Parts: sequence; structure tokens; C-alpha cells
Amino acid sequence: MRVRWLIPAGACMAAVAPAAYATQYLSVEQAQRAAFPQAGAFVPVAAPDAATASALDAPPGWAPRIFAARGEDAATLGWLIVDQVLGKSEMITYATALDARGAVLSVEVLEYREAHGGEIRMAAWRKQFAGKTQSDAAALGRDIKNISGATLSCRHLTEGVQRVLRLHDFLLAARTG
Amino acid sequence: MHAALRRARPALGTLVEIGVEGLPEAAALAAIEAAFAEVAAVQRCMSFHASDSDLARLHRAACGSVVRVDARTFAVLRMAQRVALASQGAFDVSVAARLVRLGLLPRPASPFEPAPDANWRDIELPDDCSVRLRRPLWIDLGGIAKGYAVDRAIGILAGRGASHALVNAGGDLRVHGARATPVFLRVGQRVPRTPQLELSDAAIASSAPDGFDDAAPRPHLHGATRATVRGGASASVVAAQCMVADALTKVVLAAEPECSARVLAAFGAHALVHRPASGFERLGLAA
Repeated sequence: MRVRWLIPAGACMAAVAPAAYATQYLSVEQAQRAAFPQAGAFVPVAAPDAATASALDAPPGWAPRIFAARGEDAATLGWLIVDQVLGKSEMITYATALDARGAVLSVEVLEYREAHGGEIRMAAWRKQFAGKTQSDAAALGRDIKNISGATLSCRHLTEGVQRVLRLHDFLLAARTG
Repeated sequence: MHAALRRARPALGTLVEIGVEGLPEAAALAAIEAAFAEVAAVQRCMSFHASDSDLARLHRAACGSVVRVDARTFAVLRMAQRVALASQGAFDVSVAARLVRLGLLPRPASPFEPAPDANWRDIELPDDCSVRLRRPLWIDLGGIAKGYAVDRAIGILAGRGASHALVNAGGDLRVHGARATPVFLRVGQRVPRTPQLELSDAAIASSAPDGFDDAAPRPHLHGATRATVRGGASASVVAAQCMVADALTKVVLAAEPECSARVLAAFGAHALVHRPASGFERLGLAA
């Protein structure tokens, strides 16, 4: 065990400047390959319309990206749904992989971003994610921080996954085959 | 060329992040999978909520009977008892009954009502992987098991030959490897721009009595008095094992400073306490 404190011994006021940070773990393409290594293609499925979103009790602006994982014989192996949840001050982009019957295969965080809740409005926040590419991911990767004390609830993420499961039952279950 | 890989998934009621370096990509991914699986196994054994956990079986059993538990549950209980002894009960895993009464934990399926004055001394570990409750009580390992899950995950990654590994379970984190790794301490909702410390082959855990998450406040209780710890302070503890760091944050927040310093020294740990009025203060070994 080796520790080096970077602040002086004894009581001291430390300047704690707010800093936004972000970590990119996986791109959408990497998440697709990780969840369905045997798939030959990932076919985008139209996003749920407003009536569906409303029926699923989704927050305003909810726009999950849905992909059907297809085998070599074009059979549906399952689904990958990329969604975002907004906590008090953090945005989590995550991918839920479902098998053809709608059971959860995996939940992976693709990207985690944090900033002060007051600094951003939801619409502007969401816009940052549009058209994100892997070269952006490289830039984000430099900003990784190891933070102790970040007891962030995954409550929003759990709610998000539950909504994705309802989305499957509502929209996708009938399309398998 | 060996890749540096990081993955994050929901587990242990938070986000668990696992990073690994020094392995070929396929081996790194397999190691990360195995580490997440171990975290899930620890959660299954020690969940207060799940009906098939070791704790649930213990709470369902007749008081006084010997219950066999997983070796991992036993390791955590044994450490919990060591910390309870050293801190004169400031850390006490039998506070579960109080947490249930406060509505912070669900009532477990149990044939008995906990005795109001039962405490950690009524938990007996008569033999390897054996637990017996001398008096009726419920156990919550929420203040120590998360750190243990981090330790187990690091053990998996190190065992598979990673030169550097990091596991961070919502702020309870451990670094494997000789490279100095910067760590940032969150204060309230803020993350500072510059790191407060660097760790190699060491763990850190942080706690705040008011909770960092407004959605799910989870106050800490003093083990002996069962009073809610107040005051807005937050504590970070550095130790070789994350399980120890996790448990000692509760001691540092609840106990008197002299008691905290003694317990920290006994476990070779140091602490950093942040109080809103006075800023950071170091306690223990390095102070």
C-alpha cells in the first residue's frame, strides 16, 4: 500500500472547484459486437412515437436508439437498445441487450457525463450526444477521473432498464422472427 | 500491444467501474467479465433484500441455531466483528433493526423480533463458515460488503496477471499495481479539478452521513448509541483493503476523534475528514 497525499497535513481549506467530466467506455458499435458477437448485422428500428413514449411513462425527449441483431440467416437474435438517463447532475448513456424473448442479456454503460445540474438544460444536454463518433470518444477518454465519494444512485438507470423492458413488450415482441 | 480497458455496469446499488491494463484485449475482457461476476456473487451472498442470500437464511433461522454461510460472507462478518471490537461498537452490523424501524430497510422474513439491546457481541462465529445469533438480531452488511466486493474483483484481476487494475464501486475504490493513480474526492456534489491523493496498491472509501444522493438518503447510525450521525462531515479512509476502508469511514464519522485515531492505527489506515466549516483534516498514520 502506498499513498501520497497531495494536500498538506492538518486542517486546511481546499478549493473545490466544480468540474464537469466524462468517461466513454464503449461506442455503440463496440456494445453491439460485445453483446451479440455472432450477429451479422444490426438493423435500426424506428424510435417509438410520442404515443408509445407516453404509454411507457417516458420522460420528455425520450429517444432510445433500437437495433435488431440479425444472425447470418436474418433471424432476430435479440435487441440492443441505447438509451440515456439523467440523474441530478449526471447523464448516463447505456445499452441494454435483450435476447429474442426479451430477457436482459447485459446492461453496459457506454458513457458517463457529469456536470452541475443547474448549468444545463435537458434539451441542450441531449443535443451533445447527437452524432457522437468514435473520434469524440478518444477526446473524452483523456478526462477520466477516479472519484471517491461518488455514491451515485443507479436508481435512474434501473428505471431506464425497466422502461426498456416495457418498450420490448409494447413494440418489439411482435417483431421477433 | 496491450489495451487499457474500462467497463461500467450497474451493481451493488451504484455504478461499478472496472479498468484493467497489461493484458491482451481478449484476456482483459475475460478478466473484467470474471470480476463483474465476482461482484455479483458477493452481492447475492450478502444482500439484505434478496430472499436467498446468506443474511436472509440467517434471519429466517431459529435464533441460536448454527447457520452455514459462504466463505465470503464469513470473511466479511469476521472483519466486521474485528472493527466492532476495535471501535467499541461504533461500527456494528446489527444496526439493521434500527434501519428497518426507520424505514430505510425492508423488514426481513424472520420468525423473531430483534431484541432492542442486542448488538454485535451477540453474533457468534463458532467455526469456519458458521454463524450463530446468541440473541435475536438482524445483520446489515451495507457498510462493509461493497468494499469487500471491490477487494474480490481486484483479486480476480490481479490473479489474471493485470499489471494495473482499478475497481470503483460508487466511490469505494481500490488500485492494483505500482503506478501512482490520482484520486479525486467528491465534496457534496462537487468534484475538484485536481486530485487530493495518489494511490498504488491501496484502497479508499468515502462516506457522508447526509448521503451524496438526495434521492436515497441513507444516514449512518452510531453502532453503540444507534443515534443518527449528523453534522455534514464526510470522511475518506485509505487502507490496504477496501473492506477495511469502507467499514472505517463509518467509525471516523461516528466515533470520537481519539477513538477514530486508535482504530485507524490498529488497521494501518489513514483518514481525511471534510467538515463544511473547516475544510479537510487528516487523521491517523499520515497526519
